[in-house]
Amino acid sequence: MNKNGNIYTFIYASVMVIIVAAALAFVNGSLKDKQKKNVEIDKMSQILKSVKINSPLSEAEARYGETIVDSYLIDATGQKVSEDAAETFALDMSKEVAKPAAERRLPVYEASIDGQKKYIIPLYGAGLWGPIWGYISLDSDGNTVYAATFSHEGETPGLGAEITTAKFQEQFSGKHVFQEQQFRSLAVLKAGAKAEGQDAVDAISGGTVTSRGVETMLFDCLSAYEAFLKGLQAAPATDEAAENNENEQANVEE
Amino acid sequence: METFNLFIKSIFVDNMIFAYFLGMCSYLAVSKTVKTSTGLGIAVTFVLLITVPVNYLLDTYVLREGALTWLNESFASVDLSFLSFILFIAIIASMVQIVEMVVERFAPALYAQLGIFLPLIAVNCAILGASLFMQQRNFANVGQATVYGLGSGLGWMMAIVALAAVREHLKYNKIPAPLKGLGIAFILTGLMGMAFMGFMGIKF
Amino acid sequence: MSPERKDILFGPLSKNNPVIVLVLGICSALAVTAQLKPALVMGVSVTVVVAFSNVIISLLRNTIPSRIRIIVQLVVVAALVIIVEQILKAYAYEVWGQLSVYIGLIITNCILMGRLEAFALGNGPFDSFLDGIGNGLGYTAILVIVAFFRELLGSGALLGFHIIPQSFYDAGYMNNGLMIMPPMALVVVGCIIWVHRSMNKDLQEK
Repeated sequence: MNKNGNIYTFIYASVMVIIVAAALAFVNGSLKDKQKKNVEIDKMSQILKSVKINSPLSEAEARYGETIVDSYLIDATGQKVSEDAAETFALDMSKEVAKPAAERRLPVYEASIDGQKKYIIPLYGAGLWGPIWGYISLDSDGNTVYAATFSHEGETPGLGAEITTAKFQEQFSGKHVFQEQQFRSLAVLKAGAKAEGQDAVDAISGGTVTSRGVETMLFDCLSAYEAFLKGLQAAPATDEAAENNENEQANVEE
Repeated sequence: METFNLFIKSIFVDNMIFAYFLGMCSYLAVSKTVKTSTGLGIAVTFVLLITVPVNYLLDTYVLREGALTWLNESFASVDLSFLSFILFIAIIASMVQIVEMVVERFAPALYAQLGIFLPLIAVNCAILGASLFMQQRNFANVGQATVYGLGSGLGWMMAIVALAAVREHLKYNKIPAPLKGLGIAFILTGLMGMAFMGFMGIKF
Repeated sequence: MSPERKDILFGPLSKNNPVIVLVLGICSALAVTAQLKPALVMGVSVTVVVAFSNVIISLLRNTIPSRIRIIVQLVVVAALVIIVEQILKAYAYEVWGQLSVYIGLIITNCILMGRLEAFALGNGPFDSFLDGIGNGLGYTAILVIVAFFRELLGSGALLGFHIIPQSFYDAGYMNNGLMIMPPMALVVVGCIIWVHRSMNKDLQEK
């Protein structure tokens, strides 16, 4: 057959397309589950990082199971709307933040660190070039930050991408998101700037837009949890007392 | 304003050559004179101007997870993004073929000058790279994607023209023999890249 | 192994090195070398893709219609790269994340098209396979050298393990942050070329 003929070229091209498409579909189909699992383990490892646990990926799933004692979805009033851990984990933050605050379903992960409860809140926002996200953990007083971790997809290396470094993230530990009972969130400040009435961390020099993105992300995401956090602030002693009462009643009933 | 910002950023801050090293091969081979570099730069910019928005539409309406819902609701979980590479490169190869035919018809002198490098634009990393970065960056609409493509092309062109200009002058300098030609071109590009890092904090 | 075959396999390690002699594959050579680990993975990935695409095109070389020659090459290469990427995403997720767009850019890596046109279209499958491995290794060698210096001087580490002892830091030594930034990759390659051409005078330009 004439190698340069149109019919030969056409048949050749068609056969090639079919074989290649089939091969690729096969590879993708057989590896898809493993890939999905990797994404989940990566998420677990990020959540663990937000409570200062740096676990290698191979151990992340096990550590996650030990550390995260509860996960649930709440609404803007602080009420639980779902106690399904799988549903909470699978929630797509990028879709939730697009909804108005009143309609959002907000995930909360409870971790047990050295016998103390920490509350982990997922964050999602916009950097310079694409989305940024992260997890921030608060102590049981619903106010003090225990730790935070951030991630991004396409920020500039050396600038916006620095939000993933320990140096940037360690600044958040110990800061307060409420000042005098009012929700203020945290400021991310350029060198020389001063914060008014709120706690602040240093921005990334040269990474202004990404740093501002972090500040906005913190405010937008945390403000949705205001009712829930206020509930934590009011309740700690009452929780213990309520537990003690329940225990006493259980003892009496026996 | 945001679009203008995007345009300026894609030329200077996220410069295809100095920040991401894309399109180096043809740059190192062609940039010996300013004239050929300008011609190649215009061709690359034109190809980017067309391929980035077309690939954006392809990505948004066919490839992404759930993109096919406009065809049929049940396709919501279909994720064809693993086909991105092959479809993007197919679009690019076809566009370059068309550009080649247009240049041959309307600018035969340039066609002769560029020679083999015109079809090689199809494998210029900067072209595929721009489409892949576009995919990562989730632009809001096809207009922004077009601006990004145009800016990337102009930035690339600016870089290779500047480098060609310096290399033209280097012919008259005393450079150690092992560094002559390729070696000094690399170091030179590195130094210019450092200078461009100064644009990183820019904002309008 | 015959001397010709030895030349095919080992030539690209130095005198026919794809990166510093043939000036191919520069883009990714610079981009992924901030650390040693992604550089190694990239080197291995490119070697695999070049070797197998060389073999496939060599096997097909007498059947390819002349009009769509470049397109057939691109399709074969693109398909192989997609397969490599899917495998990385499933079995080496962290590195996959680090390499990100640069995996896809293997398709446009000039080494691939360059070797397909220059060798695979005119030689048998086994020789083409050797040529692919040789060029892949030559490419990997340069990547490893650049990444070695960039990670060691830029982060004080290699493969993630801290090498520079704490006593150095205490005495005032600081990591050279500029090494991690893109421009220094170019300068390091320039220096490698300098050294290489001092040793191989026949490669020097007039």
